[in-house]
Amino acid sequence: MADIETLGIVEEIQSIVADKLQVVSYKWLSRNFSVSSNAAKSLLEEFVGKYGNGLEVIYSLSGWLKNNPSTYHIRLVSKQKLADAKQEFDENCSIQVYSVQACLPKDPATLWNHEFVQAEDLFKQPLSVDNCLRDNRFCGVSNSFIKRNPGKGTATPQVKTTGVSGSFKDQQKIVQQSSPNIVQSLDIAKNVKTESHVKEDPGQGAQLASDKEKAPQQAPNKKKGHNDKNSSGTGGALASMWGRASTKTKHDVPLPPKDISLQKSAGSADAQICAREAVQHESSDEDGQNFNMKRTSNGEGSRKRRVVLDYSDEEDEYQDAVNLASPEPPKKSTPGLKNSSTVSGLGSNLSFEEEKVNKPNVKEVKEPNVKANQLSVEEIPDISKGKKLESSTTDKTNSLSPETKAGIKDKATDDGPKRRKVLKTRIDERGREVTEVVWEGPEPDTKSDNNSMKKSENNTVNNAINRPPGVKKSPALGTSAPANQGGKAGNKKGGTKDPKQGNILSFFKKV
Amino acid sequence: MLELRLVQGSLLKKVLDAIKDLVNDANFDCSATGFSLQAMDSSHVALVGLLLRSEGFEHYRCDRNISMGMNLNNLAKFLKCAGNDDIITIKADDGSDTVTLMFESPTQDKIADFEMKLMDIDSEHLGIPEAEYHAIVRMPSAEFSRICRDLSSIGDTVLISVTKEGVKFSTRGDIGTANVVCRQNTTVDKPEDATIIEMNEPVSLTFALRYLNSFTKASPLSNTVTISLSSELPVVVEYKIAEMGYVRYYLAPKIEEDDEETKP
Repeated sequence: MADIETLGIVEEIQSIVADKLQVVSYKWLSRNFSVSSNAAKSLLEEFVGKYGNGLEVIYSLSGWLKNNPSTYHIRLVSKQKLADAKQEFDENCSIQVYSVQACLPKDPATLWNHEFVQAEDLFKQPLSVDNCLRDNRFCGVSNSFIKRNPGKGTATPQVKTTGVSGSFKDQQKIVQQSSPNIVQSLDIAKNVKTESHVKEDPGQGAQLASDKEKAPQQAPNKKKGHNDKNSSGTGGALASMWGRASTKTKHDVPLPPKDISLQKSAGSADAQICAREAVQHESSDEDGQNFNMKRTSNGEGSRKRRVVLDYSDEEDEYQDAVNLASPEPPKKSTPGLKNSSTVSGLGSNLSFEEEKVNKPNVKEVKEPNVKANQLSVEEIPDISKGKKLESSTTDKTNSLSPETKAGIKDKATDDGPKRRKVLKTRIDERGREVTEVVWEGPEPDTKSDNNSMKKSENNTVNNAINRPPGVKKSPALGTSAPANQGGKAGNKKGGTKDPKQGNILSFFKKV
Repeated sequence: MLELRLVQGSLLKKVLDAIKDLVNDANFDCSATGFSLQAMDSSHVALVGLLLRSEGFEHYRCDRNISMGMNLNNLAKFLKCAGNDDIITIKADDGSDTVTLMFESPTQDKIADFEMKLMDIDSEHLGIPEAEYHAIVRMPSAEFSRICRDLSSIGDTVLISVTKEGVKFSTRGDIGTANVVCRQNTTVDKPEDATIIEMNEPVSLTFALRYLNSFTKASPLSNTVTISLSSELPVVVEYKIAEMGYVRYYLAPKIEEDDEETKP
């Protein structure tokens, strides 16, 4: 088991070192992937063995000095100086990989930078959050004075240490034995800093399987989420409104009638979660607080997760299964269905037309939103292209609005193959990270979405949704040219999407 | 410690108007030689480079190189508070996260000072290689501005082609097409009205008018604009700032399927 996981980590180290040019030290590794520091060291050694050629390695040597046997010495040395440094130590010095990096940093502080940032992040987490630094669970140094949370602390570590360390056992022993000494030998001038770190580290042995899953996602995801936020953050208020509209559009799953939809929703738990999270992702991503508040006012507010499953066939009368704010889709979807059936049962032309009106507009909106996304999420380009195509078809339907239905049909058939599931990760407005599977691709029926919105989110939201159309009409009517000319950042993003537009970065190199 | 005193305060206002449309946040880099900025627009299609040489300032002191990250819209807000004739002094202490702007009226009877917060901006500095351009067009900046504005109401992109006859700007839109040809014309009363074309070989490139329109916001800085074109390079649109430096814009061309030479 360990092997399989470490394999993944080693690959990841490679990408971090080679692509991000980051210094990967065992401490960072240990916290980032929630492995014990010993496991992290052996991972690094394995990594150096595999890919070490083009990289710079810094070793940490520890042992008794020859010339001055009373000092226990820990020293960081680069690959080239390793042999020399070994000479200065007594025979029994331990050699461990301290860090790997693309090149030797000019400023030694660079070695600690990432760890420090990481440690700071961990400490900044709210007190209620249990992270590896707070309970120091990876530290294998244990005696009666060290207290950890019961169940988390020392019991597991021991097991893990023995399990993981393997080839490192010897060195590890040495280190563990020596650690008390280190505490006393802080006087060594040059390495004071190292030692203070080492003091707590060498024995770090604990490893919690549960954390293993948690932590690895954390760091990378955080970044990604951040990006997401940024990109959506730069858009103005309008953009966020558009974003909201489009969020809904993405998730309808075109499907025939109710029974199937029920089947579906009762289907695999995974699928449900995915769908639910997808929706949650979209909504909280783009309009965070607004949505949140609305939901609370909704009565279902305590639940943050929300599902909009749209099972709409080409038939417009069959509205969609709507499911809100519930962890149990099957249960909730039934009311949703009822709702929709009542709506369609009433068959009020008015409402139906309204939907129609809404639909094209909402689609218009999708495009800018997608662009924004594209900046942050790499996987989307093709899709966004698809979207663009789609939005142009939307224009058509717009002009054809009497025959919208036909238009929809066409689209529905067209769109099938373009859609696909995409994994997205981000940080929601409460700072939790969310990974979800989202249906990406052109959506045939936005209208159903509007519907779902209406039912789920009361009139206020409905109004909000209905308002954008008015605003958006102008871009929809005019050619894209005047709409684009605003020269503002939001519009510029649109420019990026133009496949024909060259990138300045392809002409000038970064310094 | 940084201290710059610019008698012609309106110049700074114009400079900012010239770049704030294109770039939201940017680092101003100050060194002993001058005050400079390089930034890409958010879509990484255009690049703007600004240089104000130290000689152009009445007083210029920069003890060590300093990079000040500013939100250009915020800076513009501050500069709006300065009168056109005001003398502007920019001061920053080493390691400080603010910059002080002081505006003095020419008669010295009004002095206002403002402190603006700086921000940390990750910016990638691009190396711009010296290049020989196939064609260099110098023309009145107002003329160029007018052409870009006019064409952008018809189409999204402009094809700029330079031949011996002159420089042709053409566009195509839903409502029709447009061509504007400017011939070389050196027989004018004022030298800044001249249109001068230096051409080694014919070039034609397509650009997004949207960006060119942003570039023309620099027109108040200079009566003439220099457009340098090469088939495999971004166009350079340069506005000289008298006795001080320049604002240069670089714009990556549009790639045309059937026009191989415009490919990067």
